[in-house]
Amino acid sequence: MSQSHADTIRVRVAAIEQVTPQIRHFTFVPLDGGELPAFSGGSHVIVVMRGAQRVYRNPYSLMSSPQELDNYQISVLRVDPSRGGSAFMHEQVRVGSELEIAHPVNLFPLEKLARKHLLLAGGIGITPFMAQLHDLRLTHVPYELHYATRSPSHGAYGELIGRAEPQRARLYHDSDNRFIDIEGLLSQQPLGTHVYVCGPAGMITRVLESARALGWPDSHVHYEKFSPPPTGEAFEAYLERSGISVHVNPDQSLLEAIEAAGVDAPYLCRGGVCGFCRTDVVALEGELVHNDHFLSADEKASGKAIMPCVSRARCRKLVLNL
Amino acid sequence: MLITGIRSKPVYAPLQPDLGGRYHYMVGHGVGATPLVRLLGELRQALPAAMARTRAWYVTDPAATPGSAEALKATGIAELRTFGASDGLLADLTAAMRQALMGSRLYVAGPESFMGLVMRIADEFNLKKDEVRAEECGTLARRVHCIHCRASIENVRTNIVECACGRWLVVRDHYSRRLAAYMGVMVDAEAPGERPEIKEVFL
Repeated sequence: MSQSHADTIRVRVAAIEQVTPQIRHFTFVPLDGGELPAFSGGSHVIVVMRGAQRVYRNPYSLMSSPQELDNYQISVLRVDPSRGGSAFMHEQVRVGSELEIAHPVNLFPLEKLARKHLLLAGGIGITPFMAQLHDLRLTHVPYELHYATRSPSHGAYGELIGRAEPQRARLYHDSDNRFIDIEGLLSQQPLGTHVYVCGPAGMITRVLESARALGWPDSHVHYEKFSPPPTGEAFEAYLERSGISVHVNPDQSLLEAIEAAGVDAPYLCRGGVCGFCRTDVVALEGELVHNDHFLSADEKASGKAIMPCVSRARCRKLVLNL
Repeated sequence: MLITGIRSKPVYAPLQPDLGGRYHYMVGHGVGATPLVRLLGELRQALPAAMARTRAWYVTDPAATPGSAEALKATGIAELRTFGASDGLLADLTAAMRQALMGSRLYVAGPESFMGLVMRIADEFNLKKDEVRAEECGTLARRVHCIHCRASIENVRTNIVECACGRWLVVRDHYSRRLAAYMGVMVDAEAPGERPEIKEVFL
């Protein structure tokens, strides 16, 4: 696989809709006209945001129909406090703005041979499922969507989904004291079901723990986390092959610092799950702060590898094979 | 012609209970009872409560393995279903899989040509490698698929076999999970009548 971000796609913002007080919905069209690259439900794109101080590259799930490639649609939740990316999308981007995006990558695909799909969404975690629902409507495989939000006004797409999927979607609102019965659902699924969860970290953890307790094998459990890179102490890293030192600010990820120094490091998900940015640690005095879900416990303990998209270090010296 | 060292040849391992599973379904044929009895013993020792969620489907072979159904029953298994032939077992297992829930594990033991048919059901229900365990025992005789006329030949013990279509086939290690059979390819297509010595190799 080549580095997918090597060439980006230039798009224009064709429409912006404020769907909830915190969520904005963006429609991108290709600057050169024509069609955008094909994708499957569950894919994300990295949006490159050139702010005044620094460049942000944030992943957002594509939520438009994979069958309609004249536009891409994403939703951006304004995170408070924002590291900068979501604030940029909410404050700086206007209809007509031009942006760069990377080619779509799918790290959260539907299992093609599943006998049933069980989709569990929490809050903004609905976005990858919006595109997958388009794909699922074209199949004869049973599916169910359970979508939980804090209140009806926080549920960005509840009404839309309720209309499109009256039989197959159930909405839950914390404000009505209605919650997804995760254990009840997972204990009654027919053989060959795959469960997919996207939402807050606590929801993902509950689903993974319940699934394991009920005997679900890992191969049938799929999740996508969309948490931003954790902040931490500032530190220095020396990039051995490039021969330069980079300073990582507290609110900056190691990957962002490497990119700011002009070094083209590999990445795909920017969320610590795909493993693509795995980098060898050549020397370390201090400790690594692993925030990824990719390296095994042994690999993390060995201190020989790091995932720069989310992980950091508390160290006097860190030398990377970059 | 490459006939061995082909990666599609299934790999088997001695059965061990998967304590992460919630329902334990076991399928055996003839001599396959021995590993299943051992497996049930290990499961009962590790997790006695799991015995209530065990079921087995078993094709008896009273001449070769007398008393094996009784031995299975004596393990304390919750339900044992016995059959005189594979066909009945496979139909009953398929019906049970339709009712089965996620959290199930499938354990299979017996000759490979039987296990291949069970694995085909497992694939149909989208069971993955982490849900199915299989231990080979008994005859290594193969089901061979003639790639020319597409007929199936059962119980092949030799490296070269004659198909009903009249062709002589070399039996490859190339295995099809969909067909539950090894591929048989005409052995003398380029030099008619020139055939290697026929030997019994799958015993």
